[in-house]
Amino acid sequence: MAKNFQEQFTGIFTPPLYKQRYQFVKDIVGKYKPKKVADLGCSDCTLLWMLKFCSCIEVLAGVDICTSVMKEKMHRLSPLPGDYLQPAERRLTITLHHGSVAHKDPCMLGFDLVTCIELIEHLEESELEKFPEVVFGFMAPSIVVISTPNSEFNPLLPGVTLFRHPDHKFEWNQAQFQSWALETARCYDYSVEFTGVGHPPTGMKNVGFCTQIGVFVRKYPQTSQSAHSDKSTEAVYKTVFKAVYPSLKDEKYLQNAVISEVIFTAQIIKRSMLDHLVSEREEYNYDATERKSEFQPSMNCFSEDLGKPVVEKSMEPFVNRDVVYIPLKTIFSFPKVNQLCGTFEKLCKLIADKVTLSSDGSAMMLNTEHENEEN
Amino acid sequence: MTGRARARARARGRPPGQEAATPAVGAASLQQALPSYPPGRQQPQQRLRPPSVSGERIGHGEQMPQDQDKTIGLQISAGFQKLSISDRGGRQRDFHDLGVNTRQGIEHVQESKTGSSGSVIKLTANYFRLTSRPQWVLYQYHVGYMPEMEARRLRSALLFQHEELIGRTHAFDGSILFLPRKLENKVTEVFSRTRSGEDVKITITLTNELPPNSPTCLQFYNIIFRRLLKMLNLQQIGRNYYNPSDPINIPNHRLMIWPGFTSSILQYEESIMLCTDVSHKVLRSETVLDFMYSLYYQVGELRFRDACAKELIGVIVLTKYNNRTYRVDDIDWEANPQCTFKRADGSEISYVDYYKKQYNQEITDLNQPVLISQSKRKRGTMMQGPVVLIPELCFLTGLTEKMRNDFNMMKDLAVHTRLPPEQREHEIGRLIDYIRKDDSVQKELRDWGLSFDSKLLSFSGRVVQGEKILQSGIAFDYNPQFADWSKEMRGAHLICAKPLDNWLLVYTRRNYDIANTLLQTLFKVTPSLGMRMNKATMIEVDDRTEAYLRVLQQSVTTDTNIAVCILSSSRKDKYDAIKKLLCTDCPIPSQCVIARTLSKPQTVVSIATKIALQMNCKMGGELWSVEIPLKQVMIVGIDCYHDTLSGKQSIAGFVASLNQPITRWFSRCALQGRGQELADGLKACLQSALREWYKWNKYLPSRIIVYRDGVGDGQLNTLVNYEVPQFLDCLKSIGKEYNPKLTVIVVKKRVNTRFFARIGGTLKNPPPGTVVDVEVTRPEWYDFFIVSQAVRNGCVAPTHYNVIYDTGKLKPDHIQRLTYKLCHLYYNWPGVIRVPAPCQYAHKLAFLVGQSIHREPNLLLSDRLYYL
Repeated sequence: MAKNFQEQFTGIFTPPLYKQRYQFVKDIVGKYKPKKVADLGCSDCTLLWMLKFCSCIEVLAGVDICTSVMKEKMHRLSPLPGDYLQPAERRLTITLHHGSVAHKDPCMLGFDLVTCIELIEHLEESELEKFPEVVFGFMAPSIVVISTPNSEFNPLLPGVTLFRHPDHKFEWNQAQFQSWALETARCYDYSVEFTGVGHPPTGMKNVGFCTQIGVFVRKYPQTSQSAHSDKSTEAVYKTVFKAVYPSLKDEKYLQNAVISEVIFTAQIIKRSMLDHLVSEREEYNYDATERKSEFQPSMNCFSEDLGKPVVEKSMEPFVNRDVVYIPLKTIFSFPKVNQLCGTFEKLCKLIADKVTLSSDGSAMMLNTEHENEEN
Repeated sequence: MTGRARARARARGRPPGQEAATPAVGAASLQQALPSYPPGRQQPQQRLRPPSVSGERIGHGEQMPQDQDKTIGLQISAGFQKLSISDRGGRQRDFHDLGVNTRQGIEHVQESKTGSSGSVIKLTANYFRLTSRPQWVLYQYHVGYMPEMEARRLRSALLFQHEELIGRTHAFDGSILFLPRKLENKVTEVFSRTRSGEDVKITITLTNELPPNSPTCLQFYNIIFRRLLKMLNLQQIGRNYYNPSDPINIPNHRLMIWPGFTSSILQYEESIMLCTDVSHKVLRSETVLDFMYSLYYQVGELRFRDACAKELIGVIVLTKYNNRTYRVDDIDWEANPQCTFKRADGSEISYVDYYKKQYNQEITDLNQPVLISQSKRKRGTMMQGPVVLIPELCFLTGLTEKMRNDFNMMKDLAVHTRLPPEQREHEIGRLIDYIRKDDSVQKELRDWGLSFDSKLLSFSGRVVQGEKILQSGIAFDYNPQFADWSKEMRGAHLICAKPLDNWLLVYTRRNYDIANTLLQTLFKVTPSLGMRMNKATMIEVDDRTEAYLRVLQQSVTTDTNIAVCILSSSRKDKYDAIKKLLCTDCPIPSQCVIARTLSKPQTVVSIATKIALQMNCKMGGELWSVEIPLKQVMIVGIDCYHDTLSGKQSIAGFVASLNQPITRWFSRCALQGRGQELADGLKACLQSALREWYKWNKYLPSRIIVYRDGVGDGQLNTLVNYEVPQFLDCLKSIGKEYNPKLTVIVVKKRVNTRFFARIGGTLKNPPPGTVVDVEVTRPEWYDFFIVSQAVRNGCVAPTHYNVIYDTGKLKPDHIQRLTYKLCHLYYNWPGVIRVPAPCQYAHKLAFLVGQSIHREPNLLLSDRLYYL
């Protein structure tokens, strides 16, 4: 929910407390490496935006009751040009839902981590009652992070009389939060540990953290998918935003990446061969107009550029009648191509029909004519 | 062709005087520019320059009180300016030259600025009318807080506790609120409570009602439209929006093309319209670091840094981790990613750690240098330092000069980017389709009460009569469809042929045969042109630059007509050195030919003919003319070349006609040093042109018409307020009695306007000679479009002409016709070109000087087209 202005503007904490909360979540992600993360009460999506850079995460979801605040900055969750230019290995889908944490929706199943940062204090009593069943009972992720203001700290915040934010329905002290959390954990078979961000001034340790945090870890193993289907629930959330990031796991992007790399690599080989050819001609047989029908350049002229591939004799490219033949084996030996394709068969499959191959399909053919044609 | 590929390269137009001082690379100033810096830190109350007010003239009919119009512009608060600016892509210039009303100063076009000659043609253009609700008014409110609230976020939060009052459709910058509907009262008071329980009185006061064509409203429409494009999941790059989901890959060159759109909403002649065009963004799927590596292997250790500077400075890069573009201004070889900078909270962090922590971006190469970009953005009064970028995290965008010169690459690109009219219209229609089909976009539009026409704007243009081409003793028509008379002029004598009595032909041993072929073919083709020719002095040289220079220095005498050099490759340094020598210390005309262009027997005759024509022009000959009814008129063409690489010098080419048939030209250039205004140099050029004119004609011209090309978006104001007065000053200085009529016309080639003509059931390019001076022109200008050239593929781009100063009182019809005539007089192309010939000459001159000579050429050459 909304960042508390007080904390932000009086600058009591460095970095600001909201940043510390987000960093806390980031650290949790760094520790447990969850694949699917949901942020309940995602507000203006700042936390989601920070989390999208975490490479372990493949699914990110945000839920908020207010669409306009979500929409305000949701476009920064879209893939960037760079994500298209060099698709990442991992998949990433980011979805924003409009809905209440008091309602169950099947789209929230199967998450590894659910965060509720400064959320519960905004819930009406009736909503708060349903909240544990929805999050711990229904969604049942391996980890739940819940943060909320610690009312014992309020006297230390200048200007705070009742609550830190006009929309807060309550603010708990440490005992209140802990008893609620322990009860919830017990009820849904989770363990809980308490911590927080925003240290109290020295000598006032009893006050506790400015923001108190409970980290819940599920005690029983992952429920199977079939268990979820029991909970056949109607979809009630409305999707307001969805972004699917380009990934090399997607055949389309992988193929593009491979073809780009293959053709680029082949061009380099061709150019260095032709350069070599020209300099050779100029050096030795200047007047001869006939080109040697077959020419085997030493690999030295280009292998340096491309990370010293291991080359066998049969893999050497050659020129024949204005056509450069580059064996696919050679191309496959280049680190980037190799890394992208994994297997030689995969390479062959991906480039089939996209590049010109020799009749036996073992080499790529490039025309040398192209080079001389310039106007 | 003479095969000078480099001549095809376009001088990228960049306004002079934009470069900031040398970067003071210091950690303290760096941090502020770092991308992570939250944008919300601006002080909303800072006073910004007031946006330019669109003068007194409003569209036909809807006149409104002038004073009201003025206040509108001035009352936009700084914060709202910023909102608009960030939506526009972070620049603060007025790209549409909105505030400049030049028509009001030109008496004879107050009533009408349209011409009448020619045949009517039905056209459509890439414009869509904005059909806003009748009496659509934008209400502007001032929002005050009591007690005063500082933070913008807080101000918004407090105000929107009253959403039921304000409604969901609004734009608020912290102090100015725009609403599409009127609140019940002129002044509304409401109370909000802060989380600390403090009661705040909010006063919402109506300050303005903005009619749909007020500049603020226009700016506002543009902002809303950009929001829509974002909602359509288009990505903003620079000023335009692109669709990343369906890119075109060109792996041969590691390029990726994103299709997209340009859009702008402006007040045009009759109505407010959206002008949208298809745009293609060329992205490169290699990082600056990749590029540096491949450059390293190409040029080697020694030349590496120079090569990097040459290739990279001036290019636009796109950062991996956010969607920002930066121009590379410098490379700091002393720094590396392990250097640290000071963060907002005062702590020191290295770039490696910063990017790892903030964006999870690994920097693998710790020895790479860093790139420096001088940010042009101004955020309030905050000091803005240079931005440091890591090569590994930056993608290259756009094409380098080298790539533009790569014929194959440009051919591969053109397949995808040059859309024929039918297809272009279809693509443009797609945007409107997207908008119509997207529910949330429709809702946003409905909320604001905005809607667009679904059909392209259609109207009538005129096709003016074709010109007769005059050569020695004959006159002929050309096929208007191709706007080309290379066939027709075969066998006709030139107006003025210069003899080749004493000339040099320099070649390397390897190209001996080619030199001979050229000589023999020239002997064959020159008689029919009327050129007298002796055998050349043949000189064989080693294929080294110094060899060429030595031979030329030894052999060139004052009697030499021209020196022809056959070059074995298109190596730029050799070409530059030869041109430099022969344009400055040894001033004689020169012709360089790349051997390869003469290697194909089937084309050698036509190439030799072209070379002969070009040589003739360089020696002061004349090829053809068109009928020019105006007497005693001097035509001036000006274009600029901005050298972004070496020294950041700007060069203006200045070309002025010398004779009545407008076949001879006086050419000079003005080199703009640091801190100098280009206009000062132009003034000197005009002075010497008038002197030269006097020498030729024994009187001074009674009429001067200046075609000014090379004016960037948003620079019109400078031109009107500074350059034109300089011209007038110059004329005054000639003599008390001398009071010629002056017309200044701004020529703009790069416009988003496209016209389509429906011919025989399909959409075609409008024929050459199409003039448009209605609908898509601007009410506050005396402007018109001419389609003068014919293109073989893709869509023809009309040229925009804006008469910004005119005491000549020529009828619009006559100015339009004259302009079109002048497009026939470029001697390097037997056809009609895009701009008046003097502009193209000026461009050629400035380009040669900027690319090869780097100093003012010898004035002995100034009466010849030596730079063709």
